[in-house]
Formats: sequence, structure tokens, C-alpha cells
Amino acid sequence: MVVKLPIASTDMLPSQTPSKNPTWTLRISSLSIGLALLSLPFLIKLDGRPHADWQQFLGRFHPLAVHLPIGLLLLVPLLEIVGAFRPVLRETAEFVMGVAFACCLVALTLGYLLAYGSGDSGTAVSRHMWGSTVLTISVLVCLLLRPLWSSASIPRTHVAERLYPLSLICVLLVLFWTAHQGGSLARGSNYLTQYMPQPMKRWIAPGTVRSAAQNPDSFYAKHIHPALDGNCVVCHGEGKVMAGLRMDSYELLMKGGKDGAVIVPGHPEKSLLIERVTLPTGHKLFMPAEGRPPLKPEEIAWIKAWIEQGASPTATQLKGVLIREDAKELPPEPVGDYSSLMPEIKQIEAGQGAKLLQVSRKPSDGLILSAVDVASSFGDTQLAQFQKFAPFIVEAELGRTAITDASFETLSRFTHLRALHLEGTSVTGNGLSKLASLRELNYLNLSGTKVTSTSVHSIDTMKSLRHIYLFNTPAQPAPPADALQPIAKKTDDPIAQ
Amino acid sequence: MKQHPLCTDTECEDSLDVMNLPVPEKHKQEWATLATRRQFLGRSGKVLGWAALASLLGDYTLPRGAHAANTSDAPKLPAPQDLKLPNFAPKSKRVIYLFMSGGPSQIDLLDYKPNLAAQYNKDIPDSVRGSQQLTGMTAGQARFPIAPPHWTFKRYGKTGTWVSDLLPYTARMVDDLAIIKSTSTDAINHEPAIMLMNTGNMNSGKPCLGSWLSYGLGSMNDNLPRFMVLQTKVNDKENNQPVSSRLWSSGFLSSEHAGVGLRSSGDPVLYLSDPNGVDREVRRKMLDAVERINHQTLAELGDPETNARIAQYEMAYRMQTSVPELTDLSKEPQSTWDLYGPEAKEPGTFAYNCLLARRMAERGVRFTQVYKRGWDMHDNVTGILPMICRETDRGCYALVTDLKRRGLLDDTLVIWAGEFGRTVYSQGGLTPENYGRDHHPRCYTTWMTGGGVRTGITYGETDDYSYNVVKDPVPVRDFNATLLHCLGIDHNKLTYKFQGLDQKLTGTTPASVVSGLLA
Repeated sequence: MVVKLPIASTDMLPSQTPSKNPTWTLRISSLSIGLALLSLPFLIKLDGRPHADWQQFLGRFHPLAVHLPIGLLLLVPLLEIVGAFRPVLRETAEFVMGVAFACCLVALTLGYLLAYGSGDSGTAVSRHMWGSTVLTISVLVCLLLRPLWSSASIPRTHVAERLYPLSLICVLLVLFWTAHQGGSLARGSNYLTQYMPQPMKRWIAPGTVRSAAQNPDSFYAKHIHPALDGNCVVCHGEGKVMAGLRMDSYELLMKGGKDGAVIVPGHPEKSLLIERVTLPTGHKLFMPAEGRPPLKPEEIAWIKAWIEQGASPTATQLKGVLIREDAKELPPEPVGDYSSLMPEIKQIEAGQGAKLLQVSRKPSDGLILSAVDVASSFGDTQLAQFQKFAPFIVEAELGRTAITDASFETLSRFTHLRALHLEGTSVTGNGLSKLASLRELNYLNLSGTKVTSTSVHSIDTMKSLRHIYLFNTPAQPAPPADALQPIAKKTDDPIAQ
Repeated sequence: MKQHPLCTDTECEDSLDVMNLPVPEKHKQEWATLATRRQFLGRSGKVLGWAALASLLGDYTLPRGAHAANTSDAPKLPAPQDLKLPNFAPKSKRVIYLFMSGGPSQIDLLDYKPNLAAQYNKDIPDSVRGSQQLTGMTAGQARFPIAPPHWTFKRYGKTGTWVSDLLPYTARMVDDLAIIKSTSTDAINHEPAIMLMNTGNMNSGKPCLGSWLSYGLGSMNDNLPRFMVLQTKVNDKENNQPVSSRLWSSGFLSSEHAGVGLRSSGDPVLYLSDPNGVDREVRRKMLDAVERINHQTLAELGDPETNARIAQYEMAYRMQTSVPELTDLSKEPQSTWDLYGPEAKEPGTFAYNCLLARRMAERGVRFTQVYKRGWDMHDNVTGILPMICRETDRGCYALVTDLKRRGLLDDTLVIWAGEFGRTVYSQGGLTPENYGRDHHPRCYTTWMTGGGVRTGITYGETDDYSYNVVKDPVPVRDFNATLLHCLGIDHNKLTYKFQGLDQKLTGTTPASVVSGLLA
């Protein structure tokens, strides 16, 4: 649409004012340039195979050349608008657009050489290619239409007056779209959305919040896919399919590329993927190519182990691979505002001596119930009095108090409790399972109590519980063997006298 | 003619002297005591000046809080809530600071330089030393011969950290530490350097780290001081630099924020136990009476120090029961002694102090500082260093391990640091058996662990001579800013207005939190 309409209109106009119009030669040459550009993708197809090296050499100047026409094209509407007040600027607009068109041609040629020479293909590549072709033709059209708009001698018809601004707007829209496609090619399609705040992401690009695989708990989904997604999918994904290989889903990864399968289940040493990522970084065939950072050693180790143990899409655990899961700590859920309760907090503190300390100046961080001062006199009844503040208490320091098993019932109503200190109390763990309702509890200190391993097992299901301390209890696990190098024996102790 | 005794006019000799007038003697005596006209006018002028100044200064002429004293019962110091601290949810609630006074030798302990062995007795290149100013102790030396460490280093832990054979226990816990090789200070002598580490300023008079925390974060246990200091018994074979009460002074903050030291022998706190015949009730009555008198003084003069004194009396009264409980180690299980070693049973040893520090952490003391003197080794390194390492190494390991197994390391910050490092070149004679090392401020090694700290890392790098920092320097102010960050404090927001400046621990030079050290 964008292409045809303006050309048709230029063809209609010359009969009215032949002297001021572009000459026939100019029109024919521009028409042929447009047709040549349009037919180029059909004449020389992007077949996904690399071609001559010189093409790639020149093609790699495309990212350099491509930014100049973008800048110039953005300058044109600016000059036209400001030119309404300073006519001298408007005169330059045509020249700037002419240069922009020439630059478009150079960038387009280089881009084509890059794609053809390196064997890029894929939807994003062809979108970028078509976008830039349409863009170049639109610029040409603009260039041809502009004299109709600016010249005073041409009778201003309604159509002629509107055509140029409209086509300029079209140029800008096509420019933004094409540039975005190009950016996605270079940086990956999720480059803009990766660190976007979740709500915005859902609103703008609902498609990008996706689950990696059918089985989200599998080792593949949790560790292999993210590693490939972060390092390889930029060039081996939906947008850009280098060497015919796509790695954005399990099936496509296993299918391999034009060099055959990249993963041979059970044999990491035969798998092309491992071979390429473990080459010396300077090697021609090293992956990730184009100077991108190499995979992290642990990522390579995971992929190796995963291939060795069958490259299964569903296996959840691998032998010999233990990955700490606590890397991502979600910010705790904010608790309500207790500010209005401050008088009551002061009152209860004065009454019993146990304190309600503010975690920070932000009320949403909650309160710490601390009975350290009054440990010996703080028992179950005293704790029960703090129930009113339970929704705001995120930590309870009840170490060495007179708390007993009866308090588990009370504590289970401290819904926002994240850390619970019960060290040195007389609890035995009877009723410990009631704590299972505390969904945010991640720290539980039972050191020096009489809790047994059976009662501790009753809270095994608590997912959030990361730190549980059982030192000096009947439930204490056997001390881990000293994993470190043994300390020198007495006889050869260098500092023994 | 006799002049009036108070008259200063030298030209009035010929004039009439009132004292010669025929008046009764008693009148003359009365006249003699009176002020002269000159005195009257002179004094009146000064009074007018003072009055003018007072009106210009307005409220500033009155002692702080005097207005409050006039209007309400007693002036109140800003409570932590008023300071709005912590600024954000902290990772650590308390600090145990193991201060290695004297300057431990980073080269012999943790900053491994394998290239040094081959350069024994060679001169350190001038390019490395640069324009570094030396102390008076080595400035006169003709040569600066390299003294390689006398002990071998091995790699330990999953992190493969190099540790000297002198620290077999520290070697066991390297995976739990953040070892900072690039700490650097501006001072080259003990007193300014130790002040800088503790107060952020080389000159005394500023509050110490513990006082700032006491002031900013308040108390977790009203029965114990917020800031406690433990000194390790002196070993006479070591070169002990003085550790003075300036290092736990509250500076310009109210003196209730000053550190309270526990003695290493005898009663932990002097005169804490009631004398014979005085029971607790009598003591209480006495304190109540004294408090009333103090409140009168406060209302009269409005000196905030009176308030501090009232608070300290009350604290001392509560400490009469809390300190004996704190220092009573009879209920410690056998596993404690297995970990800390038999030395820990002897009050005043480093191991004992580490154990007390753990007990204080359990009881909610904000800031505990353990001092160990004797790291100042200008000569006889091979004689003294093994001795002092043996005294401290196990205690450090035991403390960290004990906190860890008891679940306290999650919210306690543990720091091991001296005031500076030591030179790679030998001070005095260098022999294959022995050498000395001078003060070295440009780089030294410290470690920290606990809540908020990224453990299992070595931060910063020094050059091949452990002389200059080549990567990620950590100046003292950044070190302290990082420490405050772990406690939920923005170092720019913990301030106290004094002498027209919003004073802060990190001083006026911009400091930054070392994000590489944070978990």
C-alpha cells in the first residue's frame, strides 16, 4: 500500500505541470531502483547457507552504516516542522532526505550481503529485510513527492498537499518497526522486555512471560533451557536461525541443524554442542560466536552431565549435580502498616518488658518481637498477649524464654513470621507441625532444645524453610565430615613447639 | 600624697586623695572595697556586649535541652525511632569485631605471594615503593631487602584459598569468610590508624563504631550495655601497643553510648557486686534517692550528661544480675570446650573472650569488640608470630563455627581486622631465620562474615610484593560504610549535628558501600 499509492499519484501529475516535475529519466530510474529492490529478495534467496567470505567481510559493516540513515530520516520531519518558522531549514530537508536515501541504499546492500554471506535466515531476518526494502522505497517516494508539496507554482490540490506528510509519517513508522526488528536480531527478541517490571511486561508483551517447557520442574527447564536461552538463542532461535539450528525448544534442539544433531544423548564427547562451546575462545568455530561471552563453567558442566545422563526433557535431578536453589530470594511480602497501633505497642512494651522492635523505618518491613530482656519471665501467656500484633510480627526472638510446646498454637497464627528463635527453650517439638501453616517461615532455631527428629520431620513439607538449627538437640544430624583438607597432624604441625 | 589603692590614673598625683580627707577610718575602709567609676563603666560595657551576643545567638546560649527542662520534667535524647533507623531491613542485627591491635602481617598470614621466595634479600624495586613515606623506624635504612614469609602456604576449602601454616584453624573456615586483601588506611602509626578504624577519624574525640550503633539502633536488651569491650590478657613476650578507653569513647554522643569494658580478671565489672551488708533493696532505695537529686540537677542546668548519668546508674543496677549470668560459663556444654579449647576456661584469654562474645550476641548486645594486642612485630617475626597466631587462631574459628551451628551467624556480623598491615621488606637485619616488619598502611588483609556478607570470596588484589592495591581497593571509610549497610544503615544518614556539621562515621570524604562484599 505504502509503496503503490504515491507512485500512482506521481504518474497522474506530470501532465499538469511538466516543467517543474521530476524529469522522465529521474522517474524511470527511480521506478527501476524500486523494482530492483523489490525483486532482489526473489532473485537471490536467503537460503540459510553461508557464502563468500568477502560478502561477510563487507556485510559486517552493516551495523556501522545502518545508523546514519536512521539519524538522517529522523532529522527530516524535524526540519520540516521547525522550517515552518525558519524557512531556511525547510530548504535543507530535501538535501538531507536525498543523503538519507543514498545511505539507505548502502545500508540495505551491506545488510543483504551480511544475511546472504553468513547464511542467516529466520523470521526476524526476513522481517528486517522486507522492512528495510519497504523503507528505502518509501524514502524514494517521499523524495519524489516533496516538490509537489513545497513548490508554490504547482496548484495545490487537496491530495497533493496531504500526500507528502502522510508518506513521511509512513516512513517513520516503517523505520521504527524495521529498526526494532534489527535490534532484536542483534540483541535477542527479549532484550527490551527481559528486565521490564512484571506488570508492565504482562501488559505490553503477554507472550514473553512464558513457561520454558511442559515440565517446569525438570532439570532441562530449570537449568539447561535458561543457559541456552541466555547464550545461544539470539542466533539459534525463532528470529535468527544460524546454520539451520534452533535451540529455543527441546524438540528443535534435539533435531539439530544442517551439520546434524548437536546433542548425542549419553555421549557428551560426541555432541557438537559441547565441542563448540569448549573450544579455545579464539577458535573460528567457537560458540557463542561473534565475541559474545563464553558459557560459564558451571553451565557447561550442567549441560555435559545432562547429556551424559540421557539428555532427558523430564528428569528432575541429575546424579552428581547439586545446584543450590536459594539463588533467587524473592523480596518478602510487605506486612501491613502498624503505625496506628504505636500507642498500644508502647503500652504492651511497658507492661511486660518484651519489645516490639521495628525492622526498619518502613512499617511494611514489620516488627521483631524480642523477649531477650525478660527471657526468664516470658512464657506462653505472655506470648499470647502479643497475638493482637501477630500480623505485623516477622521475627520472634524467644530464645531462652519459658515458652513451651503450648505456644506452637499461638505462633501458628503469626502469619507473616519469617524467623523464629526458640533456642534454649523447653519445647520438645510436640505440636511443631502446627507451624506448617506459616508460609513465609524460612528460619527456625531449635538449638539446645529437646526436639526429636520425628517432630522435626513433621515440618519437612515446609517449602520456605531454608535454615533450621538443631545443634545440641536429640535431633541433631551427625556432624558433617570435615570436607576441608585435614589440618596437619600434631607431629608435623609447623607451629607446634 | 597617697593615691587611692584602686586608682590607676597616674596623672592624678597632685590631685586630692580622698583617703587623706578628714573622715572616720571606717568610712575609708568601706570606700576601699567599693568599685571605682572606671571598673563600673568597664564592667557595664562588657555586660552590654554579652547581652547583645545572647540576643543574637538566641536559643543557642542555653544548654541543650534546657528549654525542655523548663517546660517538661526532663529532656529526652532522640530515641532510635526519631532517627528513623534502620533505613532498610538489615541482614545483621549485631556485630562482633575482633580487633587485632598492632597490625597483623598480611604477607605471613593470608596474602600469599609465591614469587617472594625467589627474591630473598633482594631490594624491593623503587617503582613499587614509589613516594611512600616511611616511618621513622625504617626511613633511615640503607636497604629494603625483601623478607619472604617464613611459613609455607597451602590451599584450603572449596574456594582453594591460600592460607599460611600459621592459621590452621582459619584455614578450615575459609569458605565461610570474605577475605579482603585490599583494605587500606591513611595512617601509618598505631594511634591515628586505630582511631581511624574505630571512629573514621585519625584525631580522637569522635564516637566509635559501637557508640554510633548504640546511638543509631538502640538496645535489644536493656539489661546489658549495647556496646561492650573485651580486652585480652597481655602477653609480655609480645610488643603490646596501648589500647585506651578512647577506642570505646562515645565522643560527642551522650556518654551512655560509650563502650563498657569487662575486666579480664577478678570481677568482670568493678564494684558491681554489692558490698557486705548492703542488699539489693537498700541499693534500690539509694539509687532512687540519687535519681531524684539528679533530676533536680537536670531541671536546673539542663546538661544532657546528667541524663546519661541517670541511665548509667540504672544500667549498672541491672547489670548486677545480668553480668554474672553472662559470665557464668558453668552451663556451657562439653561441645563448647571441645570447640574453643581448654584455654577458654581461663578468663582473659582470647578464646574466653570469643566465647563471651558469642554469649553477648545471644543476649542481644549490639556491638562487642574483642581486642588482642601484640601484633606489632618490628623484629623477631618468627619468634612472636607463631605465638600470637596460636593464641588467636582457634578462638576465631571457634567463634564463627559456634555462631554458625547455633544459627546466630545469619544475623551477626563478625569482623577480623587490625589497623594496618606490615611491609614486605625487613626492618632491621634479615637472616634466613628471622626478620622484622614495619607498619604498612597501603594494603592489609581483613576478613568478615555473617549476615549480609558474601562469603567464600577473596576481595581485592595486591601487587606481587603485597605493597600496593591493584584491584578493588577498600579504604577504611568504605569498609565502615559496608559494615553499616549490613546493619540496615545508610552511612550518610546516621548523623549527629556537632560543631555545625552533620557528623558521621565515614567522615566528610565520600564513602561508598562495597557491593562486591555483599550477599
